[in-house]
Amino acid sequence: MTALGRVKQWNTFARTWHLFDAKWQNPIESGPTVAKYLQGLHKPIFHPMSECGDHVVVINTKDIALPGDEWRLRVYFHHTGYPGGASWTKAWELHDKDPTMVMKKAVYIAMDGTLQRRYNMLRLHLFADERVPDEIMQNVTNQIKPLRYVPPSLYDYSEEEIEKFPKIVDYPHDYVIR
Amino acid sequence: MFGRIISFSASNLKALLPASISRCTRQLHITAPVAVKQIIETRKDKQLIIEGVYMNSPREETLLRHNEDSDACAVCRLNVEIKHTDVLILSQFIRKDGCMLPRRITGLCRLQQRRIGNMVAMANKAGLMTSLLPRARERDPYKRRKEHLKFKVYYDESTIKPPKDPFAPRKLVPKDNWF
Repeated sequence: MTALGRVKQWNTFARTWHLFDAKWQNPIESGPTVAKYLQGLHKPIFHPMSECGDHVVVINTKDIALPGDEWRLRVYFHHTGYPGGASWTKAWELHDKDPTMVMKKAVYIAMDGTLQRRYNMLRLHLFADERVPDEIMQNVTNQIKPLRYVPPSLYDYSEEEIEKFPKIVDYPHDYVIR
Repeated sequence: MFGRIISFSASNLKALLPASISRCTRQLHITAPVAVKQIIETRKDKQLIIEGVYMNSPREETLLRHNEDSDACAVCRLNVEIKHTDVLILSQFIRKDGCMLPRRITGLCRLQQRRIGNMVAMANKAGLMTSLLPRARERDPYKRRKEHLKFKVYYDESTIKPPKDPFAPRKLVPKDNWF
């Protein structure tokens, strides 16, 4: 067995720790990706009866992005079990109360409702920002590729860069620049 | 006022100048890089000549070359798919305060003017580009926002509706359609 093959085997049979940066990511899109690593679906030895899932550390969950109006339109339902105990919480209200909750529910929904789901969720570590305890961060050996391109703000560029960027249109001859 | 030489006698100069400049704030600028027109003052004995001169555009050096024969507008002839996250392109179509420039100044076709205008609004809502003012660099665009507006959003450009064609033929409705 080659050295690479041996490392692959170690990684397959050990619990590997993955990092996922949720900045500007859609939680609904990235939920299935995170769930794949939690369940161990990326491993060649995967079988529903063999518990081979990995740990996933998700950071910057407060910076997740939803398309268009979805912060208002997406609603989370809860029922206390008592009559009149139904409640509908909008996504922005839930994100306001707990900045990790929208991401957590997205991963939870992405997995099938089997008995294994609760145990898989225990291996998900969510953090609102970049501050992660050292005892968790020192285990991380892999980073999951973000699904969406993180758009730079105009103010990430210096004024020189903005000036030197090729211009598409010119001002009219007699235009006073404002 | 431009293209004409205005002469004052030197004694009346102090009384005349501030009022006359403040009245025509729009066309006269004193700082050179701000305006395409510049005022040049030349003083001969007992005569002050104030002259408005057209300056070169600040975009002259960085302007993209194109085929002069094509009738297409500047964005159509680029043939590039522009997104609302392309802030370096979109910032060319706004005034310093962040407003979209009108079509008579951008010179775009109807469709591209609508698309660019909507994408400027999208970039603004996403907090990627608010204005070109120096204070915008220091401000956090999400800080003052409330409720659902304080979280990050992105948009789909395919949701932008094209403008109505004013020359499109009207739909014919049969007259005996009584119900």
